[in-house]
Amino acid sequence: MLRTLVPRAASRSATRPCASILQPTGFCLFTYKGRGYATEAAEHDLVIIGGGVAGYVAAIKAGQEGMKVACIEKRGALGGTCLNVGCIPSKSLLNNSFMYHQILHDTKKRGIDVGDVKLNLKQMMAAKNTSVDGLTKGVEFLFKKNKVEYIKGTAAFSGENEVKVNLTDGGEQTLRAKNIIIATGSEATPFPGLTIDEKKVITSTGAIALESVPEKMVVIGGGIIGLEMGSVWSRLGSEVTVVEFLGQIGGPGMDAEISKTTKKILEKQGMKFKLNTKVLEGDANGEGVKLKVEAAKGGKEETLDADVVLVAIGRRPYTAGLGLENIGLEVDNKGRIIIDEQYRTKLPHIRVIGDCTFGPMLAHKAEEEAVAAIEYIKKGYGHVNYNAIPSVMYTHPEVAWVGQNEAELKEQGVKYKTGSFPFSANSRAKTNLETEGMVKFIADAETDRILGIHIVGPNAGEMIAEGVLALEYGASSEDVGRTSHAHPTLAEAFKEAAMSTYGKAIHY
Amino acid sequence: MPAMSPTMTEGNIASWKVKEGDSFFTGDVLLEIETDKAQMDVEAQDDGKMAKIIQQDGAKGVKVGTRIAVIAETDDDLSSLSIPAEESASTSSPQEQTKSGVDASRSSESQAEAPPSSKGEDTPPMEPSQSSSSSPPPGKPQKQTYPLYPSIAQLLHEKGLPTSEADKIPASGPKGRLLKGDVLAYLGQISPSYSSEQSARITKLGHLNLNDAKPAPPKEATPPPSTKAQPTTAIELEITETEIAVPISLSSVLSVQKRIQATLGVTLPLSTFITRATELANDELPRSTAASTADELFNDVLGLNNVSSKTSRGSYMPQITALPGTPFTATAGPQRQPDIYDILTGKASSTVASKRLDEPPAGIMAGSKAGEATNVFSVSAAKGEEKRARVFLERVKTILQVEPGRLIL
Repeated sequence: MLRTLVPRAASRSATRPCASILQPTGFCLFTYKGRGYATEAAEHDLVIIGGGVAGYVAAIKAGQEGMKVACIEKRGALGGTCLNVGCIPSKSLLNNSFMYHQILHDTKKRGIDVGDVKLNLKQMMAAKNTSVDGLTKGVEFLFKKNKVEYIKGTAAFSGENEVKVNLTDGGEQTLRAKNIIIATGSEATPFPGLTIDEKKVITSTGAIALESVPEKMVVIGGGIIGLEMGSVWSRLGSEVTVVEFLGQIGGPGMDAEISKTTKKILEKQGMKFKLNTKVLEGDANGEGVKLKVEAAKGGKEETLDADVVLVAIGRRPYTAGLGLENIGLEVDNKGRIIIDEQYRTKLPHIRVIGDCTFGPMLAHKAEEEAVAAIEYIKKGYGHVNYNAIPSVMYTHPEVAWVGQNEAELKEQGVKYKTGSFPFSANSRAKTNLETEGMVKFIADAETDRILGIHIVGPNAGEMIAEGVLALEYGASSEDVGRTSHAHPTLAEAFKEAAMSTYGKAIHY
Repeated sequence: MPAMSPTMTEGNIASWKVKEGDSFFTGDVLLEIETDKAQMDVEAQDDGKMAKIIQQDGAKGVKVGTRIAVIAETDDDLSSLSIPAEESASTSSPQEQTKSGVDASRSSESQAEAPPSSKGEDTPPMEPSQSSSSSPPPGKPQKQTYPLYPSIAQLLHEKGLPTSEADKIPASGPKGRLLKGDVLAYLGQISPSYSSEQSARITKLGHLNLNDAKPAPPKEATPPPSTKAQPTTAIELEITETEIAVPISLSSVLSVQKRIQATLGVTLPLSTFITRATELANDELPRSTAASTADELFNDVLGLNNVSSKTSRGSYMPQITALPGTPFTATAGPQRQPDIYDILTGKASSTVASKRLDEPPAGIMAGSKAGEATNVFSVSAAKGEEKRARVFLERVKTILQVEPGRLIL
């Protein structure tokens, strides 16, 4: 439209100042039009805000479905929190720190004598970065393969079908779209009164990038992130204390019995726990950090000294700067964008998936929603079974669960029976000299239908996949118990736990 | 109205071949149905009796799943039968009806079979034999196309039932799969409705729980971001929706002015201070499109805002009005200032904000240490730009009250 109003000569001169000096945005937009770049009139079928797990999966799926799709990301790398500063880098550190710890402490009895073992933290971090880079580049490649337009910049709504992007490389671009998906993810919840500097007071982001091993580390929050990152630095030599407000570690989803077992195992590894403990205030002005804590139900105050404090009290939806208020979209009291069952906001062409809306903040949940959201747009129906979404904690041993735990079932008044099997009675665990932990089934008392499966033990994270499948198919514990599992494998413990739920285990 | 083909959505009733009260046997033709494609006979799947015909001969455009007639068991007394109310047509779950119809104590094959049951069932399950290819809705007895679960195969064999019996058991599992619980219910070992009730509960768990969504209050009601320098004294006033005003004491400006005059012998006019403060405060204001969310406020407080591109230069010029000398003091005291908790939980009620609107500006002022030489600086902001304007005024205030000296150095 602008082009028709401005004479040609003027349009040429207008391009120049835009490149050199910052000019009002109108000129920049105009320049793009003049040069024949993607014009704002060319409407996308779908614009996705956020290139994290939710956003990039939705973008690829949409590309596969033949939609004209653009994905906007401001981080400079795709993959979001998970790939860049979350699941992936932390797993690299967890794996390598575990190897270091095992070589240091767990070789002699296995008949391996090792010489000097030294930690090269810099190299360990480099290995982590290699993994992350490889994966984020991989996503970029998948974008190209599936014809997804990748726009680097910060997006804000400027209309119900319009998103304005502040491009990372300068300038602005306005995108029009028939459908918009918000997938802006979450951020670590800061602890009131402690300023995060990612050096002394850190979140998970800083915890995967410390330059040296702190002597003393205090973790505020005994959930999955806190325990994983606490494990890493504990193995590398830190004295780690976990302060948790609740009476159990692992967060509210973890079964109480499993949580207790896990705590014992981690304590043996050298981590310290202060449960039912409240952090009153922190002071990071001195050399280290001083934390004032007291028992949650009232008690004497205590001061904890630490070189580094990891704040891991949870995550909260991140929608700052998105301009939701410009189009009248609402968030709830926890900051989650309000949606219906099909992920639609009150503007039905705008959908929200992943951490910035309801449900557990898990990458695989976001992935499921991404595919379902595209299917809702294209086919009118999508499937996510929120009762069959597994949780995994990648400590050593791992903890994994799916479905409901005992406390939840008690609260709902459901009659259930449990069956468990310890890894100490499993042949493969014995040969591996890794016999800590157990598998626990919870099944309905009458129908034997599996209601929840909870594992702490070696390889729990991989083993839970079978449990998720069982839940998805509505299987009974007997169905699992009558299914052959190879011998000798850790998975036999899974089968025997099922057997002990409807009958008796053979080997225990 | 039974679906005669997978694509059929509605059909016409050509004619009934039985009358109300007639008995019929398996395989008897009950009625003729015509669709846009063909005319077909509907055969009885079991022995029974016609209790009531609801859609008479010649009924046109009857939707699939709508009740067209009610049939009963052969030995039922029709006069004593009460006909159950129709559940919302095609969405009704035949599984529920079937369940309630099957008495656990009588586990003979024919009774478990859905259509004719002693309680007077809907006819939809009356599946014509020639259309067995169309898949019936989940929850009713159906041909088990997947291998039976190991527990079920075991149970059936233990009870001496052939595996074909599985096709007659109402299935409550995902996608109509037969579960161990269904078989136990069928065998009468557990309460007949338990398995389906459990399935309903678990299906519900499979959905995203959206019930705990409590909308946050509208943004306008959120108190302004407390500036880093003076979190509690940052009191401003909304006179109208678009007019933002902040009382600013010029006393420190005056004292600086005096000092400069004393040391340098130059009198700088007040307007110089104000112009320069305005100039500074206009720098890097938050974009109007990115107005405040609770998260942003919190980040602001913690200095966490690392999103650099959210700012732009403003072009505000404040209006300055002097205040009357004696401020009201009565109303200000008891009013609780919303604290950080309120901001975070969104409880900073709009009543606080709206109450303020009624009060004269001086009343608000009373609690602050503004003292003499106080003026009200105000700007008018377009809708959605309130935060931007507020930040601007807070900055002017900070500059003029805290460090006016730096304006001229």
